[in-house]
Amino acid sequence: MPLPAKAFQLWLHRVAPSASTADLCRISGIKRTTFAQQLVRGKVAETTLVSISRALGLSPLAELASFDHYVELAAPPQPPTPAELVSQVATMDLLRAVISRSSPAYGGYGDQGSSMTPALSPAPHATSVRNWVDAIDDGELRHRVSAATGVAPQNYSAQLTANRLSPELAVATARAAGVGFTGGLVATGLITEAEAGWTPGAKQAALDALSDGELSSLAGERLQALGKSLRRHEQEQAQTEKIWENLG
Amino acid sequence: MIAILQWTTLALCCVVTLVRVPSVLRGENRSLFWIFALMTVAILLSIDAPYLAVDQVLGGMNFANLVLRFVIFGGIFFLGIRLARGFSACDALKLITGPIGIAIAAAASIAVVAVFLMMDTAGSSAGLVAVFAKDGHNAALVEYYGAAGRLYPAFITAALFPAMLRTLRSGLPALVRSSAALLALGTVAICLSLLSPVIPSSLGFMKFVFNYSAVLCLVLGLSLIWLAKSLAKRAPKKQAGMA
Repeated sequence: MPLPAKAFQLWLHRVAPSASTADLCRISGIKRTTFAQQLVRGKVAETTLVSISRALGLSPLAELASFDHYVELAAPPQPPTPAELVSQVATMDLLRAVISRSSPAYGGYGDQGSSMTPALSPAPHATSVRNWVDAIDDGELRHRVSAATGVAPQNYSAQLTANRLSPELAVATARAAGVGFTGGLVATGLITEAEAGWTPGAKQAALDALSDGELSSLAGERLQALGKSLRRHEQEQAQTEKIWENLG
Repeated sequence: MIAILQWTTLALCCVVTLVRVPSVLRGENRSLFWIFALMTVAILLSIDAPYLAVDQVLGGMNFANLVLRFVIFGGIFFLGIRLARGFSACDALKLITGPIGIAIAAAASIAVVAVFLMMDTAGSSAGLVAVFAKDGHNAALVEYYGAAGRLYPAFITAALFPAMLRTLRSGLPALVRSSAALLALGTVAICLSLLSPVIPSSLGFMKFVFNYSAVLCLVLGLSLIWLAKSLAKRAPKKQAGMA
């Protein structure tokens, strides 16, 4: 659920008592019409709060925690599990790691974490939300989230497929899985890894800690999923072309 | 209100037909142009003033109405084939062009002609309103005539209905899906218009609503596809690549 406008106004008054709406929009890069509409509707998106917090030099996570819905975020953050960290490594970075570990004959360095390997791209990546949920799923997670939040499983799955998850659901998912709350917020792109308090090399370290076998099968799963989604996209493209060819 | 619906439908059909002229000159999908042209003629013939003018030329025996029925049959047949090919509905294509489709087309044609000949059709009147008013016998025949004329369009669109629903639920572009939704809505309207003979006269306006909203939905749905294609051609292609 987005933030209630009333609480948001109080927060604004506390953190930026003298700033006008125009000032806030200018420094945070939010469109004025969007901002005004959110206030009128009484529901302010979490992304709005995050943008303004960033612009004011405040911690988005701490400011989010000052709202009743997100009061759990105020507790000292539980660090992400290695599986969560690896889930936030982009598929192409995973494949690059596979090649890096291969023998020099195949363009690798025969070791891991070589200084020659380019740095990992920052989260979120193209399938970061689904990969995060898969990383913390014990098989029953989706049912528990659905039961706890009242969101239908197919709507939840649709959000994952679209690589989206509302901040509220991300927090509920983390709670249901018993992991730290920051993982979902990073995977959905609401806050950055640094804002979540993840140590700079954490992702790389988790990746390096994977055995060759684990890394290969993980990369294989990711490639398979990518192939599936690309094939579906190609099929839809072909179908659309056919419709246009016949009816356009 | 009904007049507005009629003339709006006619204007829209005209515009869409004219918009297709450049495509025809380029040789793209000529049959679509003819489908729209036939639809325009059909709408024209179902509005009072133009109908009377045409029927006077044809002898004032309401032959224009019979012509109207076959114009609709022809248009809907080609439209059905186009739609089935476009939406990859092999089942529908087989149904429409196979023995069942041909049999239904023949049966509908024979029924329309037979009932027409049984009626006392003297005196031009759009929608055969005057014939309907003559006596109970003719009134019943007009209802059967109308039902026979709607049978074939209803069959064609119903055959395509599953394909429309499939497209609606797929992940195709939003404009294509909206057009599938409109076409499905048109199908529902055509099928509902089959109920005309049992609609009480107090709800007589519903007949017009069903008829014209069916045509409006079909034409709008088809134009949306064309619009989607033009927009996609102009905008740079967005590829979900291996990013």
